[in-house]
Amino acid sequence: MLATFVYLMFTFALLFIGLYCVSAKRNMIRMLFGVEILLNAANLCFITLASRWIPYVDMLGQAVVIMSIIIGGCVIAVGLAMIINVYKHYKTLDVRELRRLRW
Amino acid sequence: MFPTILLTLMAGAVATAFFGLLDEKVGSRSKEVFSSIILAIALYMLYNLYVSVGDGVMVFTIGVGPPLAACFEVDALSVFIAACTVFLALLCTVYSARYMEHDTRLAEYYSLLLSMTAGMVGVAFAGDMFTLFVFWELMCISSYVLVAFRRERWAPVEAGFKYLIMSAIGATMILFGMSFLYGMTGTLNFAQISETLAEVDAGVWALVAFAALFVGFGIKAAVVPMHTWLPDAHPEAPSPISAMLSGMVIETGLYGFIRLLYVVFIPNAAVIDGGLATFKVTIGFFAAITMIVGNVMALLQKDIKRLLAYSSIAQIGYMLIGVAAATEFGLRGCFLHVLNHSLMKGLAFLAAGAIVHQLGTRDIDEIKGVGKRMPITMAVLTIAVLGLGGVPGTAGFISKFILFASAVGAGMPILTVLGVLNSAFSMAYYLPMLKNLVTTPTKDLSEVKEAPASMLVPMCIMAALIILIGIYPAPAVQFAHMASEAVTTKLSTYIEAIVRAILG
Repeated sequence: MLATFVYLMFTFALLFIGLYCVSAKRNMIRMLFGVEILLNAANLCFITLASRWIPYVDMLGQAVVIMSIIIGGCVIAVGLAMIINVYKHYKTLDVRELRRLRW
Repeated sequence: MFPTILLTLMAGAVATAFFGLLDEKVGSRSKEVFSSIILAIALYMLYNLYVSVGDGVMVFTIGVGPPLAACFEVDALSVFIAACTVFLALLCTVYSARYMEHDTRLAEYYSLLLSMTAGMVGVAFAGDMFTLFVFWELMCISSYVLVAFRRERWAPVEAGFKYLIMSAIGATMILFGMSFLYGMTGTLNFAQISETLAEVDAGVWALVAFAALFVGFGIKAAVVPMHTWLPDAHPEAPSPISAMLSGMVIETGLYGFIRLLYVVFIPNAAVIDGGLATFKVTIGFFAAITMIVGNVMALLQKDIKRLLAYSSIAQIGYMLIGVAAATEFGLRGCFLHVLNHSLMKGLAFLAAGAIVHQLGTRDIDEIKGVGKRMPITMAVLTIAVLGLGGVPGTAGFISKFILFASAVGAGMPILTVLGVLNSAFSMAYYLPMLKNLVTTPTKDLSEVKEAPASMLVPMCIMAALIILIGIYPAPAVQFAHMASEAVTTKLSTYIEAIVRAILG
């Protein structure tokens, strides 16, 4: 039970690191890193809670994590494609420049 | 096995890409026709499903069955949401044929439109969180690309990137909420979670899971503190996609939230700290600020599509009133408003798109006098906008009446007062827009022509339905009533169906 608690604390730490990374970083690629960290935090949470019922590890949680890694890869691919297009229009990766749409 | 309607839509999405290749070689327009036919077939299948499901539940299992594998659980509510989605998608596809004719990469466009529809139908049919998440992301990824579809201009790309970041955070939050519920109960199936949650000592963790799921689905449904992506993404997408996004995608977020709230949390409210009142007060609070912020911001807009996007946020606020009421009557109003909003906002975006297509500008001051050159478009836009404002005789009046009445019944009269005031206030930005359409033109409009027939037909169908539901609401209310019963009074049927499927 203690191990579960420690892992959950790490999960929450990753969650806050991810949120900080998404909200504070100015480079768009780093923002995508933040999204990836958030996804990994959620995956880690699943893995932790799947192994809660000692002596066996529940496969259901692990199945979700494998699927979520694949889906996360797709989201990041779309995000990178969008960053390429942003770079073509704005000639920068600084997200503060993406402020032409207001109100 | 998979529901055939989902297989049809996903196979159609793949096949449309090949028809697109054929079109490039030959110069024909087979992909438009093909994707419309696929959606029409899907609508027919959905009708068959509606007849066979009735007010019961159908379970589609994949592989070994519910406790260990994914399953689809179709009840009247799933059919209701799927019917709204597929119907709107069919009309938008027909409309796109002429609207998008000058764009390139159309094979991808129709393929993504079909896969987005498949994602939404999958979310509506999902019986466990694994299925829900996979189809949720299918819907999300398709919509990211569709928002940024016109990548040669800067605005859609910027809006698409903002949308992607916000929505990806939302998806992670949903995953987090799922993992907490899974950790407490050891299963991913909605019905099983609902059964076991009462037995575990959930404590504060149930509220943590609720908060994570509310943030996750709320980002998609554009509940106010999380709404900032919507006013960028919806106007910048091509108009048929705006209609789909505003009409059904944000409501799919609301649907996912309602499904989890009413199947998992509210039946177990007694064992959760704070009980039912926690959920009612939280959602009621967000309903109030969503309505107010949406309407006030819409008043400030100069861009017709951006105005409609903010009005969508306000409409989500009205729908949340029904969710907050936590009664069958409130949910009936909520689902009826989902149906009406998909027609009204869909029609408003399509009609605005027709005007933008002819004029090349979205500024409200620039559209002065267009109504004289485009009489049918102006007529349908008027019907849609009056419906959104809740004028008696249109569909919007019926659903808003049920929603506001339900808040009184649930002991939250403050929400009724706010709702009625907001509804009246919203006319302050709808009416000047309509006035601009009919005043004397300030510039030469002789180039402007009425939209082509294939764009007018879907718009006229929607306008006719809005009037029809407004005058003769009984069938639509009955349909919404069946949908709302499925998650309130007949919830035990939903849970027993899974238990029976597990036992074989």
